[in-house]
Amino acid sequence: MPIIRNRKLFLAIGALIVLTSGAIVAIFGLKPSIDFTGGTLTEVRYGTMPEQSAIEGVLHESALENSAIRESSGEFGTSYIVTTKTLTVEEQKDLGEKLTKLGSDASIIRTTSVGPVIGEEMKSKAYWAIGAVLIVTVIYVAFAFVGIGKPVSSWIYGSFTVLVLFHDILVPIAVMSLLGYFWGLEVDVLFVTALLTILGYSVNDTIVIFDRVREKLVQNRIEHRKKIQEPGGIEHDEITYTITRPFADLVGEAVSETMPRSINTSLTVLFALLALYFFGSAVTQTFALVLIAGLFAGAYSSIFIASPLLVAYAEWQAKRAVANQK
Amino acid sequence: MGSKTDTKDTSPQVEAFIRVFRAVIVLAVGALVAYFVWHNVTAPDAKFPFKLGLDLAGGSHLVYEADVSKIDPAEVPELMAVLRDVIERRINVFGVSEPIIQVEESSFAAEEKSHRLVVELPGVTDVEAAVAEIGRTPLLEFKLMDAEAVIAQEQAENLRKNASGTGAIIGNVSVNGESVDTLDPYTDTGLTGRYLASAALEFAGGQSGQLANEPLVAITFTDEGGKLFEEITRDNVGQQLAIFLDGEIISAPRINEAISGGRATISGGFTPDEARELAQNLNFGALPVPINLASTQTIDATLGAGVINQTLIAGLVGFGIIALFLMTWYRVPGLIAAVALLLYILMNLAIFQLIPVTLTAAGLAGFVLSLGMAVDANVLVFERMKEEFRSGKGSREAATEGFTRAWGAIRDGNVTGLISAVILFWFGTAMIKGFALVLGIGIIISVMSAIVLTRTLLIALPNVKRDDAGLWPYLLGTGLIKK
Repeated sequence: MPIIRNRKLFLAIGALIVLTSGAIVAIFGLKPSIDFTGGTLTEVRYGTMPEQSAIEGVLHESALENSAIRESSGEFGTSYIVTTKTLTVEEQKDLGEKLTKLGSDASIIRTTSVGPVIGEEMKSKAYWAIGAVLIVTVIYVAFAFVGIGKPVSSWIYGSFTVLVLFHDILVPIAVMSLLGYFWGLEVDVLFVTALLTILGYSVNDTIVIFDRVREKLVQNRIEHRKKIQEPGGIEHDEITYTITRPFADLVGEAVSETMPRSINTSLTVLFALLALYFFGSAVTQTFALVLIAGLFAGAYSSIFIASPLLVAYAEWQAKRAVANQK
Repeated sequence: MGSKTDTKDTSPQVEAFIRVFRAVIVLAVGALVAYFVWHNVTAPDAKFPFKLGLDLAGGSHLVYEADVSKIDPAEVPELMAVLRDVIERRINVFGVSEPIIQVEESSFAAEEKSHRLVVELPGVTDVEAAVAEIGRTPLLEFKLMDAEAVIAQEQAENLRKNASGTGAIIGNVSVNGESVDTLDPYTDTGLTGRYLASAALEFAGGQSGQLANEPLVAITFTDEGGKLFEEITRDNVGQQLAIFLDGEIISAPRINEAISGGRATISGGFTPDEARELAQNLNFGALPVPINLASTQTIDATLGAGVINQTLIAGLVGFGIIALFLMTWYRVPGLIAAVALLLYILMNLAIFQLIPVTLTAAGLAGFVLSLGMAVDANVLVFERMKEEFRSGKGSREAATEGFTRAWGAIRDGNVTGLISAVILFWFGTAMIKGFALVLGIGIIISVMSAIVLTRTLLIALPNVKRDDAGLWPYLLGTGLIKK
C-alpha cells in the first residue's frame, strides 16, 4: 500500500499544510465581524450605485470615520455594506435616511446591531463549542473502539481523530484569513457554524477508515484463553490476542478498501457545495467556500494522515518496548 | 424493517411478491409524503406551511438585556417571566402577527450570567417604531429616600456651583465621614410595577399637599403588593417614599402612617393627558426590572425571497448532479440511492413543516449540504455490497451482507455528526439553531432512509450472480464500464 509505505512523506506534507496554514493565520490574522466585536452593520441597496466617496462623506458628517465600507452584489442587486460602531436605534435611522438619499431606488435591506457584551459572549461561546466537539469526539471514539486492544489502544484512535481535526479546521481558517486579507471578508457566526460542520463531517470520514482497521484486526487475530486462578478459588478466563499479520499491512488494506467510498462521498458533498457556491444565495457563498476548503482538508487528512499516524505510532511503541526490555 | 423474509413455508413466488409489494408500499408512502409537502406549500389555508425565520421572511429581532443586579437571584426566573408577559401584551397592542418573545440566559461560558429578552417581530422593518412602542412600557419603582443625603448632595452641588465662579475648587464634601458623592440616598424597597393590579386617572380633591384638581394616577396593588406596601409604610413612618418612573424620580411623598388597602396615588405635576397615558401604560403592565436594548437586527423581506429562490436552484442542481453521479457509478443501486435521496428530501421537508422547523438562510444551505452527506450511508453499503458481489455471492445476499457490515461505520460516523449538531444547536443564535436542527434531522433521516428505503428497494431486485448471463449482472455492478 503506497500510502502506508510512503507514510513519512504524507505525514510531512500534512505537517507542512499545518505549518503553512498556521503561518498564514499568524501573519494575516482574521477579521472578526460585528457578531464578535459588537457594532452596527447597515446594508443599503441602490438602483444606481453612488460613489464610495459619497458614502464616506455621509459617515464623516455623522462623525463615524472609523467605519468600513464594502460593496456587495447578489440576487437582490448591488449594495453597500457599512459597518460602524454600535449605534442606537435613533442613530441607525438617521444614518439609514442619509444613506438612502445618496442613490436612486435605494432601500435598506438589513441592519444588524450587536452590543459589545453580546459579541464578547458569542466569541467565548464559539471557542467553547469547538472545544466541546473535540473533547466529546475523543471520548466517543475511545468508547466506540474500546476493546480494540493491541497494538494501539482505543484512546489513541480517539486522540488521532481529534489531532486530524485540528488540521481539518486549520485549513479553512487559513483560507478565511486570506479571504479576509485580500477581499475584506469577515469571520462571523456563520463561519463558526461552517467550522463545526466540518468537524462533524471529518470525524465521520476518519471513523469509517478506523472502523475498517478494527474489522481487519478482528479478522486477523488468534485468541488465547488462559485460566487464571485467583486467590479464593475464583477462576476466570484471561483472553489475549496475537495479530497474525503486520499492523501496517492491515491498515494499508483498510485504507485502500475504503478509498472508493471516501472519494465518492467527498465527491457528492463537493457537488452539493459547488451547487451552493455557484447557484446559491450570496448570503451563504462564503459559507460554501469555507466548507469546500474543509472538505478537501478532511478528505486528505483521513486518508493520508490519520492512518499513517496509526502505523507510525504502533512502530514507535514497538521500538520503545524493545528498548525497555534491554 | 423488512428483513425477515425467509420463512420456511412460503414459496419463492410468495417471497418475491412480498419483496416487490414492500418496495411498492415504500414508493407509495413516498408519493403521499410528496403530496403532503406540496399541499402545504400551495394550498392557501394549509395547516402546516413552512415556517420562515426572520432572515427569510423579513422583520426585526431585538435583544434586551435585563438589569437584575439588584434582585435576589432566586426571584429572577419569575421576574423574567413577568417581564416577558408584559412585553408580549405591549407587542400585541402593536398588532404584529406571530411575534416571538423569549427569555434567554447567557451561557455558562460567559463570565457574568445575564438575562435577556429576545423579541422577534416578523414583517416589522421600522425598528425605531417598534423599539419606541416597547419602550413605552413604564418601569415603576418605589424607593425609600434618605432626605438628609439628598439635601447634603444638593448643598454640595450648590457649593461647587458657587465656588466655580470664584475660581476655588471644592474637593470632597462629606457627611458623617462619608463622601456625599458616593452616597446613594435611595434604597430599594422591592415594591415595583410587578405588584401592580390596575391604574386609573383621578383628580385630586385638594387635600393637604395636593393642588385641587391636579391630575393623579391612582394605582391599586395586587394582594401581595398591598401587603408589601403596608409593611413598608408601617416601618418607615416619617420618611419619604420616592416614586420612580423609568428611572426618574417623579414624587417623594412623606409617609404619615401605615397605609393598608393596597392603594396609592402618584402625583408629579402631570397634565391630564400625561396622567391618562401613564395610567393606560401602567394597565398594560409595568416593567418589573429595567431593560436595555443590547442588539437589533432588521431584514428586508425582499432579501429573503431572493435567498429562497437561489437556494432552491442550488438544491435542484445539487440533487441533479448527485443523482447523475450515483446512477453512472453505481448503476441500478445508484438509481435506487437517487430515489432514496428524493424520498430523503421529501421526508425532511415534511418534518420541517410538521414540527415546524424555523427555516433560515443558513438552515437551507445546510439542507443542500446534507444532500451530499445523506448518500454517504448508501455509498458505504454499496461499496460493501460490491466487494461481496465480486467475491461470487448472489446480488441479494451481497446487499444484505453489505448492510450488516457497513452498519458499524454508519453508526459511529453519524453519532459523531449528531454530536456536533447538538453542540451547534447550543452554540447558536436563532439563525444557527435552525441550521443545527436541519443538520441533525438530516442525519437521522439519512440513516433511516438508507437502512429502510434503500434496503427494501434493493432486495426487491432480481437475485443474480456476477457470472450470470444477461443485463442484470452489469446493472448491479459498479464503475463506468467494466462488468
